[in-house]
Amino acid sequence: MRHPLSLALASLLGALLPLGPLVATGQEIPAPPVSFSPPPDRKIPSGPFGDLVRKGERIFTQTGKYAGKYVGNDLTCESCHLDRGRKPYAAPLWGAYVSYPRFRSKNMKVSRLGERIQGCFRFSMNGVAPPLEGDTIRSIVAYSFWMAKGAPVGTPLVGTGMYHLPPSPHKPDPFHGKKVYEARCALCHGADGLGTVSGGEIGFPPVWGPRSYNKGAGLAKVGKLAGFIKMNMPLSKGDSLSDRDAWDVAAYVDSQPRPADPRKKS
Amino acid sequence: MDRSRSAMRPLVLPIFLLLSLGIFSPAHAGNLIERGKKIAQEGNGLPGSTACMECHRLHGGGMPLIGSPRIAGQTKTYIEHEILGVKAGTRYAPIMAGVVNNLSQKDIRAVAAWYASVRTPKLPDVSPYDPSLVALGKRIALKGRWKKNVPACVLCHGPEGRGIPPHFPYIKGQNKGYILRQLISFAFLKRADDPQGLMRGIARRLSQKERQAVAEYFASLPPPPADGQPDPPSSRKASP
Repeated sequence: MRHPLSLALASLLGALLPLGPLVATGQEIPAPPVSFSPPPDRKIPSGPFGDLVRKGERIFTQTGKYAGKYVGNDLTCESCHLDRGRKPYAAPLWGAYVSYPRFRSKNMKVSRLGERIQGCFRFSMNGVAPPLEGDTIRSIVAYSFWMAKGAPVGTPLVGTGMYHLPPSPHKPDPFHGKKVYEARCALCHGADGLGTVSGGEIGFPPVWGPRSYNKGAGLAKVGKLAGFIKMNMPLSKGDSLSDRDAWDVAAYVDSQPRPADPRKKS
Repeated sequence: MDRSRSAMRPLVLPIFLLLSLGIFSPAHAGNLIERGKKIAQEGNGLPGSTACMECHRLHGGGMPLIGSPRIAGQTKTYIEHEILGVKAGTRYAPIMAGVVNNLSQKDIRAVAAWYASVRTPKLPDVSPYDPSLVALGKRIALKGRWKKNVPACVLCHGPEGRGIPPHFPYIKGQNKGYILRQLISFAFLKRADDPQGLMRGIARRLSQKERQAVAEYFASLPPPPADGQPDPPSSRKASP
């Protein structure tokens, strides 16, 4: 189980380790993870670039409103990438930006960040991929680039991607997971997992059912979902579930119906 | 299989009868609301009982000057939960504790139904206003203070703070004195009726200035629209 203190310590160590000299002397020592904090909003410059960044943020937080034609469900980018894409261990954009291009076993290709974001629309938002050179992808990439300002490229950063929960010593148990879900998750996502509405707008996102992510999404993998839940859920109480509860509740959520993987022809 | 089915059969008839007697019918809901209105107006008739309207007004506008909350149009589920919390002592509310002490379960349901059904405009708040805090409050409300592990208020209290039924109350248009006092109660006093201690943690991690700013911001907004549904279903049903 990950202790918040160890996390803080790791970040601190990461920040203190002098990487520069190692690189300068050409030593082949694998770099330890470096901690990184994205710049504050006020650092977004004025002018066309800043406008593109702000547009990216709007699309990111209100995806249905600003990129609705590519979205097929009730999720936004921020449903998973918490704090407007800034939160460590919720696949932050600053971590993503410096990690691409990269090889992905998902499609056996080297993908650019833009292509990776297309995947989010297709799978996590159960929609269609926006064109790579269109405004939607361009502005999200600009938003990510701005957020990564000052981050070392190609170096592991603390909190990039999702948290890798240690393999479960037992087989994740969806029946126990259901109990955990009802006690800790149903308050917001509903006992039926379909989310909650507020005055006609989406309140809490659906975690399964026709308006949630499809079976091709990253979170449709139990391990990834367990890591996400462990570090982030319930909001403001991340790292409060035991590893076992995180595994089990992920198995329960994963056992529920959701849209098919669009790559699989029926 | 057969045995379990026959074991259930004795229950079916009484339930059917209850239903047909109109226990759950709209007419009954109307009576409950009427009863709630009467209690709000006069108390429940027991010696020493106090009318809710003494502090919350008959139509739930509250009293900004004394920090008595507006409750018009909060959900039945939420109002009931709060009254029960005060009664049980899990919600710190020294004044209200004496008032709700002798309300029966049914009185509580009735009062909750009444206040969930009423609408009233925002009442003027003459307490000192600090516009310099509104911008900070808005930032916390809409973007959060994630470095302190404080998510944006609107993530749980709904867009603009209009509430997410049935458990998360609206906070936009609520009076400042009340919001601030509740944040302090969650942080330091004995308000412990929040699910999973979510608000206790959040309120504690905010600074006093941030708590004030959040209160100032939400108090500066209009309350949710008068024609909003009082208690819509909690879950999103399968989409069109």
